[in-house]
Amino acid sequence: MTVSTTSPMQIPPGLVIAQQLPDLLLPSKVRRGVVGFLRNNPTVAIGGALLLCLVLVGIFAPYLGTVDPTAIAPAKRTRAPSADFWFGTDLLGRDIYSRVLYGARVSLTVGLSVAALASLAGLAIGLVSGFVRWADSVIMRFIDGLMSIPPILLAVALMALTRGSVGNVILAITIAEIPRVSRLVRGVVLSLREQPYVDAATASGTRTPMVILRHILPNTLAPMLVQATYVCASAMIVESILSFIGAGTPPTIPSWGNIMAEGRALWQVKPYMVFFPAAFLSVTVLAVNLVGDGLRDALDPRMAKSL
Amino acid sequence: MVSYILRRILATVPVMAIVAFFVFSLLYIAPGDPAAVIAGDQASPADVERIRQSLGLDRPFLVQFGSWLWHILHGDLGTSIFTSLPVSSLIAQRIEPTLSLMAITLVLTIVVAVPLGVVAAWKAGSWVDRTIMTFAVFGFSLPVFVVGYLLAYVFALQFEWLPVQGYTPFAKGFWPWLQSLILPAIALGCVYIALIARITRASMLEVLQQDYIRTARAKGLGQRSILFVHALKNAAVPIVTVIGLGIALLIGGAVVTESVFAIPGLGRLTVDAILRRDYPVIQGIVLLFSFLYVLINLMVDVTYTLVDPRIRY
Repeated sequence: MTVSTTSPMQIPPGLVIAQQLPDLLLPSKVRRGVVGFLRNNPTVAIGGALLLCLVLVGIFAPYLGTVDPTAIAPAKRTRAPSADFWFGTDLLGRDIYSRVLYGARVSLTVGLSVAALASLAGLAIGLVSGFVRWADSVIMRFIDGLMSIPPILLAVALMALTRGSVGNVILAITIAEIPRVSRLVRGVVLSLREQPYVDAATASGTRTPMVILRHILPNTLAPMLVQATYVCASAMIVESILSFIGAGTPPTIPSWGNIMAEGRALWQVKPYMVFFPAAFLSVTVLAVNLVGDGLRDALDPRMAKSL
Repeated sequence: MVSYILRRILATVPVMAIVAFFVFSLLYIAPGDPAAVIAGDQASPADVERIRQSLGLDRPFLVQFGSWLWHILHGDLGTSIFTSLPVSSLIAQRIEPTLSLMAITLVLTIVVAVPLGVVAAWKAGSWVDRTIMTFAVFGFSLPVFVVGYLLAYVFALQFEWLPVQGYTPFAKGFWPWLQSLILPAIALGCVYIALIARITRASMLEVLQQDYIRTARAKGLGQRSILFVHALKNAAVPIVTVIGLGIALLIGGAVVTESVFAIPGLGRLTVDAILRRDYPVIQGIVLLFSFLYVLINLMVDVTYTLVDPRIRY
């Protein structure tokens, strides 16, 4: 409702009349396409740009002025950062700049693989659990049990039993992340299957697999995508923690956790040994979280208001 | 309420049984011969055989699980392969620093995060809110050892206000004990504070829109009383829930924090056990922490009835 302020009627002194309200029905400028989406969601744009840079750094690590990240040079041990060694050298004389750049590969591979694998597995478990009544209680008891083991400890226990390799790290973190994704998908599925359009589809003779594929699956994708970014961020942190405590990526492969673990003994006198990998790790995780927060705001305006 | 509490306690029994089953069967999920993996690469066939015997790996799976569970129910978590000491006594030696660290972090988190979340919700949309929420995003993104090293570098090495590393037992006095745990607790609490502040804000925003808050304002109550008495009490259930669930972050983070700050706790024991492939110790620690986690969340469920009298079971 609007109050006209242009009426010729005399306004008695002391009476305050409300300002004209903005017309809420005016068409707001709608931006479309990828560019429009990014302009409407600057956090996604910033996070995405940072992430893209890091992916490029990982891919083109060999061409960015790096040397062999595993080449040992005892004569050049523990050099401080300089023009020759941008980030200094470690205890074995290896170039930390090269190691950090190559380390991006491990973190990003682990983060993205775990996000993809955990999402797929969680989607499958969540869909079955949400649609097959008898399986639901059995699956959920198992998920409850798995969720009672703190994820990092579960990954530690799994890694303690396998030989360290990037593949095993991915597998261990994926297993630790699956319960959370399954829970989310199940929750979404349970609320979706009560929707009238699902009833309508069933009533018009659509078979259950088709209902799932056509009507349920597309609607789980938005929350799944947001969850996947958080899984990705968490996986990168867990990978670095596992490597840092010696239960992750084997020491022969430069990963940010490994570089920090090697610098740990000397960090009080040579802080740069820990600083550079730590900074890269933090920026990467921050970038992924920014993308996640932005996507959440964009895809679920209801949640955006509250969180 | 007593029957509710009893039912909740009974409901944790199957969960704990599944946890125990998982922790036990991990040994078999792993590819290859578990005895050979535990023995390591340099082990002779005789060593492998010895480990197989001592862990009882030559018996059928369910028999092993049964006897393992039986021992655990009697407080016997097995024997360390490396030190030949009972796992339960190894854990008992190391538990004080870890529990101290977790308790201080928990107190710090609640004291810092809840007021931050309340203020952010109260000033929603303002620069105060934005600043707090930006810090929350950073808190989520900075891994615990990054914060740990940063804090230790600034406050211990540069300013020399606090000890760099190490742990002083509580028996040597409250102040030295607290001093040795302040930096680790802040480092460990970062993620947790970010999480709780976010949830508090979200929960408070919802409550602040309710009619009775308008009524409270209309009858002239002060802002503080509205926020902390009327609103926070009703926003408490999700906050308490997430505090309970967040304990998982705390447990995982404690392992790393202890190794950054050289605190001789369960985290240190875990790291040593990993390096020595001392699987019974790892099993014992995972089981203990999971049990603690389930227990804390049981307590959280019980506190619901205290903070919200509407909840009746």
